[in-house]
Amino acid sequence: MTYRSTVARAQGELRVVDSAAPVDAPTPSESPHRVRIIDGTLACLARHGTVKTTVDDIARESGVSRATVYRAFPGGRDEILGAVVDTEMARLFSALGVRMGNAGDLTTALVGGIVEASSRLGDHAALRFLVEHEPGMILGHLAFDESDRLLVTASRFTAPFLARWMSTDEAERVAEWATRIVLSYAIAPSEHLDLCDEHDATRLVTTFMLPGIEALHGASTGLIDITPFPPGGTRPSAEIRSGVGGNTGPVG
Amino acid sequence: MPVDARQHIIEATYACVARRGMAKTTVEDVAREAGISRATVYRAFPGGRDELVDATVSWAVFDFFAKLYDRIQGATDLEEVMERGIMFAHRSIVEHEVLQRVMQTEPETLLPALTVESNRIREGIAEVLAPFVVDRGLAPGVDLGDAADFLARMVLSYISAPGRWDLEDPTQVARLVRSELLAGVVVPASLR
Repeated sequence: MTYRSTVARAQGELRVVDSAAPVDAPTPSESPHRVRIIDGTLACLARHGTVKTTVDDIARESGVSRATVYRAFPGGRDEILGAVVDTEMARLFSALGVRMGNAGDLTTALVGGIVEASSRLGDHAALRFLVEHEPGMILGHLAFDESDRLLVTASRFTAPFLARWMSTDEAERVAEWATRIVLSYAIAPSEHLDLCDEHDATRLVTTFMLPGIEALHGASTGLIDITPFPPGGTRPSAEIRSGVGGNTGPVG
Repeated sequence: MPVDARQHIIEATYACVARRGMAKTTVEDVAREAGISRATVYRAFPGGRDELVDATVSWAVFDFFAKLYDRIQGATDLEEVMERGIMFAHRSIVEHEVLQRVMQTEPETLLPALTVESNRIREGIAEVLAPFVVDRGLAPGVDLGDAADFLARMVLSYISAPGRWDLEDPTQVARLVRSELLAGVVVPASLR
């Protein structure tokens, strides 16, 4: 899989920029110290968060001088923090690309993507510190409009790996759906379902996702009839439907 | 402190937030708005501003759910409960002026309280949906608790960020409900 990508933040909007350059390598015009400084910053964030991390701390942790930090990032602290977000997202998507790209079937691709993303989010020391000590900063990216943007970015990137087994439209919906699932269980872990665990993730994918994907396909090809309820009323078939209410199927 | 007095203070807090935003609302403002002394506010809410904000968010969430519950009354099956609920919830969030303004201008003031609430909200949605799932017929081998929790998580995700789904369009909502939400949870309609 040679699919590489970097995530750039432009005018406040996340967009995926395809690039032939490996994610971790700086472009020739960039300082060779950028990656080192970004990794040093991640170590600082994991210990002190964004508020208490200064450029001095970053320079010390990265083993370079303040002047070197400013040569690599003329915008200082804010520019470094932006680059950290972009780099970490690019690393996550790179790992997802490898894992999903190597999958031989749909279930393996979905389970692999979900486990990879969940584990990386769960093991991310800097992210964990920020969620605990600066929740507003992280959650701002996970709520409402920001969340929509994140869903679009993540699904655009992962959809091509699913399109081997379904149409582009279906792949984009399923990729977005998987992103929602990962985010939901990452933000509010469940006692019954650990998505970092291959077995649990497989159970979720086979129980809830595979039938859903089949239904998405059925709906788009007209195999499944979908009639929304009429506004202000109930479906004409409501009487018949409630008539089979006694058939509740197995429970538990 | 009688419930009414607490309620009065919460509504005063909400009025202040609606006017000035969350960060600029002080205990002093709330006392003035409610027509009582600061000391009375602190007697009702010893935690001061933080406790007031949490209580006001809880109240707003409860109010939302009371309306949502009304909206799904009379629905005949799980599909209709979810379609009506999702469309109503989405519209309520989009049209909620105070919520939207706070989220645009000062999300960091609201998100911690909303995150704490979200666990309760999720459990509440799961509790409301579970009996409808049982009635509709749980898919073989699926645990009811897992299924209700999964549905609640997904409902929360879609209503707060619709992504590529147009939740104003009944046909799209019907498709969403029958695929990503219910397909793995309940027995297929054709087998009932």
